[in-house]
Amino acid sequence: MRILKLILYPGLLLILSGCVTKFMPEIDESRELLVVEGIITDQNETNTIRLTKSSPLDRKNTIKPVLKCIVNLSDDLGNTWLLKEKGNGYYVTDSTVFRGVLGRSYTLRVDTRNSLPNGYNYESDPVEMKPVPEIDRLYYERVLIAAETDEAPAKEGCEVLLDTRDSGEGCSYFRWDYTETWEISLPYDVTNKICWVTNNSSQILLKNTSHLSQNNISAYPVTFISNETDRLENRYSIFVRQYSISEQEYNYWSRMQTMSEQTGTLYDVMPSSVQGNMNCIEDPSEKVLGFFSVSAKKTKRIYVDELFSGLPALYKDCAVDTVGPTGKIPNLGVSLWIIIDGSYEIPPYRVLTDKKGCADCTVRGTTKKPAFWESEYKHQE
Amino acid sequence: MRKILLLSIFLCFQWLFASAQGDLRLKWDSPETDFREFAAKAEQQLNIRFYYKEEWISDVKVSLQPGYYSLQSVLDMLFAGKSLHYYIDDERNVILTLNFGIKTTGAPAGDETAYMPPSQYADENSSDDDSGNLYYDIGNAAEKDKAGDVTVSGYITDRDTHQPVSGVTVFVAKNSAGTISNEHGYYKITLPRGTHLLQYTFIGMKEKQVNINLFSSGELNIEMNSMLIPIKETVISAEKNVMFQRFEVGMEKINVSNFKLLPSPMGEADIFKNVLLIPGVQSVGEGSAGFNVRGGSADQNLILLYGSPVYNASHLFGFFSSVNSEVIKDVTLYKGGIPARYGGRISSVLDIGTRDGNRQEFAGKAGISPITTQLMVEGPVIKDKLTYMLAGRSTYSNWMLHMFDNSSLKNSSASFYDLNGKVVLDIDKNNKLDLSFYNSHDAFRFNSDTLYAYDNNIVALRWRHFFSNSLFSQITFNNSNYRYNISSTDPAEEAFMMSHRINSTSAKADFNWFMGRHELNFGSDLIRYSVLPGKYMPENDSSLVVPQIIDDEHAYEAGIYVDDKFIVTEYFSVNAGARMSSYLVTGPGNILIYDPDQARSILSVMDTLSYSKGRIYKTYGGPELRFSLNFRLSAKSSLKLNYNRTRQYIHLLSNSTSISPSDTWKLSDYYLKPQTGDQYAAGFYKSLPKGIEASAEIYYKSIRNIVDYKGGTKLVMNSSIERDLIDAEGKAYGFELMLKKQEGTYNWSIGYTYSRTLLRTTGKNSEEIINRGEWFPANFDKPHDLTVTFNYLYSRRLSFSANYVYNTGRPITYPVASYSVGNFMLIHYSDRNRYRLPDYSRLDLSLRYNGNLRSKRIAHPSWTFSVYNILGRENVYSVYFRKEGNVVNGYKLSVFAKAIPSVTYSFDF
Repeated sequence: MRILKLILYPGLLLILSGCVTKFMPEIDESRELLVVEGIITDQNETNTIRLTKSSPLDRKNTIKPVLKCIVNLSDDLGNTWLLKEKGNGYYVTDSTVFRGVLGRSYTLRVDTRNSLPNGYNYESDPVEMKPVPEIDRLYYERVLIAAETDEAPAKEGCEVLLDTRDSGEGCSYFRWDYTETWEISLPYDVTNKICWVTNNSSQILLKNTSHLSQNNISAYPVTFISNETDRLENRYSIFVRQYSISEQEYNYWSRMQTMSEQTGTLYDVMPSSVQGNMNCIEDPSEKVLGFFSVSAKKTKRIYVDELFSGLPALYKDCAVDTVGPTGKIPNLGVSLWIIIDGSYEIPPYRVLTDKKGCADCTVRGTTKKPAFWESEYKHQE
Repeated sequence: MRKILLLSIFLCFQWLFASAQGDLRLKWDSPETDFREFAAKAEQQLNIRFYYKEEWISDVKVSLQPGYYSLQSVLDMLFAGKSLHYYIDDERNVILTLNFGIKTTGAPAGDETAYMPPSQYADENSSDDDSGNLYYDIGNAAEKDKAGDVTVSGYITDRDTHQPVSGVTVFVAKNSAGTISNEHGYYKITLPRGTHLLQYTFIGMKEKQVNINLFSSGELNIEMNSMLIPIKETVISAEKNVMFQRFEVGMEKINVSNFKLLPSPMGEADIFKNVLLIPGVQSVGEGSAGFNVRGGSADQNLILLYGSPVYNASHLFGFFSSVNSEVIKDVTLYKGGIPARYGGRISSVLDIGTRDGNRQEFAGKAGISPITTQLMVEGPVIKDKLTYMLAGRSTYSNWMLHMFDNSSLKNSSASFYDLNGKVVLDIDKNNKLDLSFYNSHDAFRFNSDTLYAYDNNIVALRWRHFFSNSLFSQITFNNSNYRYNISSTDPAEEAFMMSHRINSTSAKADFNWFMGRHELNFGSDLIRYSVLPGKYMPENDSSLVVPQIIDDEHAYEAGIYVDDKFIVTEYFSVNAGARMSSYLVTGPGNILIYDPDQARSILSVMDTLSYSKGRIYKTYGGPELRFSLNFRLSAKSSLKLNYNRTRQYIHLLSNSTSISPSDTWKLSDYYLKPQTGDQYAAGFYKSLPKGIEASAEIYYKSIRNIVDYKGGTKLVMNSSIERDLIDAEGKAYGFELMLKKQEGTYNWSIGYTYSRTLLRTTGKNSEEIINRGEWFPANFDKPHDLTVTFNYLYSRRLSFSANYVYNTGRPITYPVASYSVGNFMLIHYSDRNRYRLPDYSRLDLSLRYNGNLRSKRIAHPSWTFSVYNILGRENVYSVYFRKEGNVVNGYKLSVFAKAIPSVTYSFDF
């Protein structure tokens, strides 16, 4: 018996390509939950706690501050400090009376009964302030993204790394965040030509050294400055803060990290709600989001002044029109801006742009030089 | 000279019904001689031919005075008082039989006292019907008046393939007695002496009825015809009494020819798609690997091929089963009432029976479908003694993927193949040896540079020895190896290769002993496991990856079992068994000891215990009772009660919804306890008029030591996995209703299942508690499940079939809110499995047309037109969410989202 089987098949790839459509499930939990965030450090500075509300899934995530709450902080010796409301959901400590002390445990209490119709008292688990070693070294390495070719120069990026040495204090869970600032300079002689742009880290940076014999961290990648931005164009600076966190906080962030990697296959790690360290006193089933952190803090700043190859010219497509020296330009300052004023050239002309960012650097940053900005350049052409 | 005819009984036994010969006159002038010489002389004189086995006639002496004799009278005289019978047909063949005689007669069955004398052959033509016309005398007629019950036993084989058919119901309606053939095709039934009508039924086989005159214990070998050969004469016959005769509650047997006829999405006959149509069996999603039986997770199913476990039974992310349907003979699923000879998994056993090679002639089969090409060859090396069978299947989906103008498909690849081989040697009548191998390979990459590759390898050697007609043994040695590699070369400095492997070697001895009303099964097995939990290595020299290897795990699992099927009365039978299993974890190993009052973490480590190689450091085990009662309420209805306990020592770690390609197998160890399940089930079965069968089964199951996971933890390359595991318990309950009609022009079935599966964490620490320690639905909890199949045979050339599936959507954890902390937008999720995906519903149709039915024509073409998901319903496969700007957007992915037509052309010659 022999069977020859032939199958004619029209639409195989309908299957393999699948079909993805937008889908918003009906959720019956539209209540806005309290979100607590903030960190208490050992530095002589103002510590800030922020209270906001979560957004239901189908809405835009806009910051909805919770105002008029009573927020206080206490330690395991019975001291209590009341935080002052600064508006927009921020509550701050008074740096003249409060400074975190290593080894003390702190508890945060939030009373929202005055501000929300269904307000409660919330309390954090006590969190011990742990010491943190210095950032031993914050440095960068040049990374070749694409080698030089006949048509184009090499593309280079910059990887910012840090090393931390075990100082014998037994920290094994680290968290970092950073603020980066860079100078931009428009290629045109406009009024607002030089600005400084600031950006905060948007990645969760964590390291667990508990499985190591020494809590040494070497070459931890803080951020990678790609070739796509103009951060490396003029001068770049990064300010990194290092925290020593509890295992509980480490687990909180690392789960948040895992669950943000959803891809839509059945192989994704099943998501679950991650419990922070705030609890509702009256109703333990009332959920509260966010995490109250307590940690010693060490910081370091570096500058990147070197020249990098193959950076993009972000402002090369600014010009849209060239007009005569005198004619009135409709919508000037609304949808058209002058980037080159050649009124005194021969023949006189003016070059226009329809992108405000090409004519005014304050679209992206501020013209006010940051106080920390070191004036001397380490490299000069 | 002497021809030995292996006498077979089959349906088209035309020559049997011919008229008997008139007297044959034999002239005899020799002195005393033996039968052999007598036969030679008779053949010479009378132009007849004898068929018999030498051993039957060795003590038959012929001493006749010279003269003329009637051959018949000589034979009557020679065989008087012996169990030998003879039959002379039209063609002058004289066929001797031992223990039974052949007659053609229309004598009515049911008259217990009216014996037909062996020599009295009625000269009566019979119709081509299967029943009531064949009469066999069994045993020695001289013993007909002795007291006590006697037995009829024999082998049941497939007429075409000469392979034993297991699971055939042998039923005697008058006495309500019945039995089932075992895996060697052997059956044995105890009956009072007298005349009986024996019915042999099996799914996918033509029912067979045989009349016997039972004088004393004897043998009756039966050949059965497969009925699903569409070109040839088709008679659809019911599986009458099949369900009543089973001792097990919740056992399903699928014949391979049945599932090849069902509509399938890509023209590829697939065993798992059929298993999913059985009430009580579900899957997480379309095309997901694995299946769930009565609320068990996918790793709780023991899938056996050649008696060896298959650790990953799917191809292409789970869209196909990795066992080629061409090598399958039949498939048995035990979803409850697992026989004591099986152990090691708590939910179900799926035993895939494979075909042997054709014993008579070389044969082959080639096929091409949109997904695969395949080739199968089989045949004898030595006829009826040594046979082989080789089958291979490979996909060309890579080529297809790259033909499409879609960049994500161009960046994807998917390939697989599988190979099966089997050699069977019949050493002698009582010893059979077979050697089998299986290899499957998969490699795929889905729009990324990460390549997933996995392999299954199985080698199995089996020796079957028949000690006597009532004691069988089977000794099996096998090795099953499953491994996967995940590798990535981008970026170059992070190029890695991650590997995982599980290897099991086992030896098993099974004995099957028929003793009157008892059928005893006993045996023992020993399995050695070795698992490489994970190895993470740099893929090339430029990689900066630090090699990491998690230590191998080793363990032994041993079991001994005994069970007894005891037919107490015609109306009541018991099947009681026990399996004693034990499990030993052996070194080398380093065990971290944690503070028992705290959650396990690096902070609560108190001590480390080191064990040297081979040292046993943890043992588990205990008895597993298997018990069922079978009550026959009337000729048409029966009730069964069942209890069974099962233990499972190996676990698939998976914190994704479906089995994923990176899931790893984990052995029970110092911390991870074996899972234990107890199932209580009851079933009621009834035959309704017009060939309709109804069944209802209800079950309750409790499971201890289920493994669950802390939210959002990584399980691969985790050397302290015990810190991320959570202990949970489970309960599953439900009922399964089935109505089916399997004879006539229309045949159909309706199955409805209501089932719930709930889990609850039992930990004390807050991290070990899910949903506040309350019961929550498992991932595969789908309460309502409806399956309808319909077949209409319009004519012999045209048939139509349809099947419809509906089930509740699976539970899912949805994000319910978004919030900001610092610069991060975070998502808050609901309680575990609080929501459900939309319900699933699908209708498939197929039409089959046979080109011509003339049996003399060389080629038999047939066309199958089928449409999968004809309603084009976009059933949701998965839902996922993405942060886009400051909004969280949800998306649903539908896999077979449109109606998928296909045309199959088959050519049988």
